[in-house]
Amino acid sequence: MPDGATRQSSAARALLPAGLKAAPVWLWRLVVLAALLLLWWAVAVFVGRNFVPTPQATALAALRLIENGTLPNATAQSLAVFFTGYGLAAAVAIPLGLLMGGFRPLGATLDVFVNALAATPRVAFIPLIIVFLGLGFEAKVTIIFLGAVMPILINTYTGVLSSDGELVEMARSTGAGDLAIFRKIMLPGSLRSIVAGLRLGAGIGLISTVVAELYTSVRGLGGLLATYGNTFQMDNYFVVVLAFAAIGALVTQGLRMAESRMDRWQYQEERAS
Amino acid sequence: MAYDARPEGPLGGARDVAPPALRVAGVSKTFRPRDGRDPFTALSDVSLDVSDNTFVSILGPSGCGKTTLLRMMNGLLAPDNGEVLLGGKPPRPGPDVGFVFQSFRLLPWRTIRGNVELGLEETGLSRAERRERALRYLALVGLSRFAESYPHELSGGMKQRVALARALAPEPSVLLMDEPFASLDAQTRELMQMELLRLWERRRGVVVFVTHSVDEAIVLSDRIVLMRSHPGRIAEVLDVDLPRPRWDTDVHTRREFVELRHYLWEQIKAMVLASAEPGLFGSGDAPG
Ligand SMILES: Nc1ncnc2c1ncn2[C@@H]1O[C@H](COP(=O)(O)OP(=O)(O)OP(=O)(O)O)[C@@H](O)[C@H]1O
Ligand SMILES: [Mg+2]
Repeated sequence: MPDGATRQSSAARALLPAGLKAAPVWLWRLVVLAALLLLWWAVAVFVGRNFVPTPQATALAALRLIENGTLPNATAQSLAVFFTGYGLAAAVAIPLGLLMGGFRPLGATLDVFVNALAATPRVAFIPLIIVFLGLGFEAKVTIIFLGAVMPILINTYTGVLSSDGELVEMARSTGAGDLAIFRKIMLPGSLRSIVAGLRLGAGIGLISTVVAELYTSVRGLGGLLATYGNTFQMDNYFVVVLAFAAIGALVTQGLRMAESRMDRWQYQEERAS
Repeated sequence: MAYDARPEGPLGGARDVAPPALRVAGVSKTFRPRDGRDPFTALSDVSLDVSDNTFVSILGPSGCGKTTLLRMMNGLLAPDNGEVLLGGKPPRPGPDVGFVFQSFRLLPWRTIRGNVELGLEETGLSRAERRERALRYLALVGLSRFAESYPHELSGGMKQRVALARALAPEPSVLLMDEPFASLDAQTRELMQMELLRLWERRRGVVVFVTHSVDEAIVLSDRIVLMRSHPGRIAEVLDVDLPRPRWDTDVHTRREFVELRHYLWEQIKAMVLASAEPGLFGSGDAPG
């Protein structure tokens, strides 16, 4: 999956008058942020009545929640379950996907089941998970794991499968064996696809975090969401929503940085395709 | 070519005639698509002996099985019938046979030096030796300055030189080249031909060079193998009687060159016309 945002923005810049071309991306991001804040404010004042708090009220609520420790604690709890579940998903999905792609009979055997599982709504498993694992940390981690594991697995698998047959033949002509070909050609060739899977998995993992915290013992940011939502503390509620958005942006940005490190050699591939 | 076709047995080495460095004997290959389409005979009964230190070119229309033949010469593909022998043994892909492909096939995630080193990683050389060897061959093809660049930073001609360095670096005794200069512009192409000749004069060995260019085949080779298609087979083998070295003089004006060129052109033209769709080249209207 190409790095859409940066490439689109460079395409967009090409259409703009020369004076605007020089503006860096972060400046445009600030402009959009300001526009969103304005929109939010307008909605809060003119439409929202008591349901949509103003940006100012939300900011005050945020300060309060940070000061009394509620937000940092909840964030820490949520991040702990998220990173545990997500880390486990990556630790299982990447090796398994590589094995499935590298060892065709295994891939051909398992991919039906993987696709079937990927198409099943993961909420369907939650009652079962609660029965077996209860409402605590393990249950939450399992829910996140189940959400994040599939996109990482499928992307890794297809990444290896779609490795360049011409490069494989070239490596074979140098005398490289199957293992060396896997290590030198297939693995680096599927790296980009793996990172794209990690990005997708992170998104689903974060959503699963909220789901887990709503359906099992009410804790973390998802727990706050439930508490504030049920008691109509909308300013606090918005703080939590924004915290989620910020975490999502940070995690995705981190993975995107990993991707752009690979850009040195990938830029040309994308232009060519 | 009066070799008797006695297969190499345990006593095979005891023959008084030195076996050819490369022997292709009665080779056929039919591709059978899995989905039930008709099988396609790419090569039919191809035989060819190449003695050591010989530069052979293969010339023939598109689809006549040149690449297929080359892939069998280093063991990437097994023949259905007949056998291919390299130094008396069935070929196995490895550092003793260099392969320059029709496309560059460079790893985009490795530097130029890393790409050349790939050809050396099955040779048993140490890391330091591989590095030194890669740099030496990059110097030979004039790319020292780009050792730490990545493939996308190079022009097409430079990439082809990297592919050439990668194939040469293991110092193979057989070099198989599949239309290596086809994608280059005319000037670069001629420079590369001279470069290749210079390298080859230094360190000979067998070169099998596939090309579509009659001129290129004559300038480079000791022998030219002319192939025809449907099914792919050898039409004729011609010797090139031009003096070597050829890289410091222009051979294009010599009488032997002109005559051979004319002859080959006539042959290929006849092949193309015979297989052309009606209407193409106006052959549909031709009487008879
Ligand atoms: N793996 C394959 N499966 C099926 N058919 C194949 C395969 N490889 C080659 N062929 C067929 O065999 C014939 C010869 O192919 P080959 O690539 O050897 O031709 P060529 O002489 O190298 O042509 P060109 O000059 O265009 O490169 C072609 O008709 C091609 O369609
Ligand atoms: Mg070919």
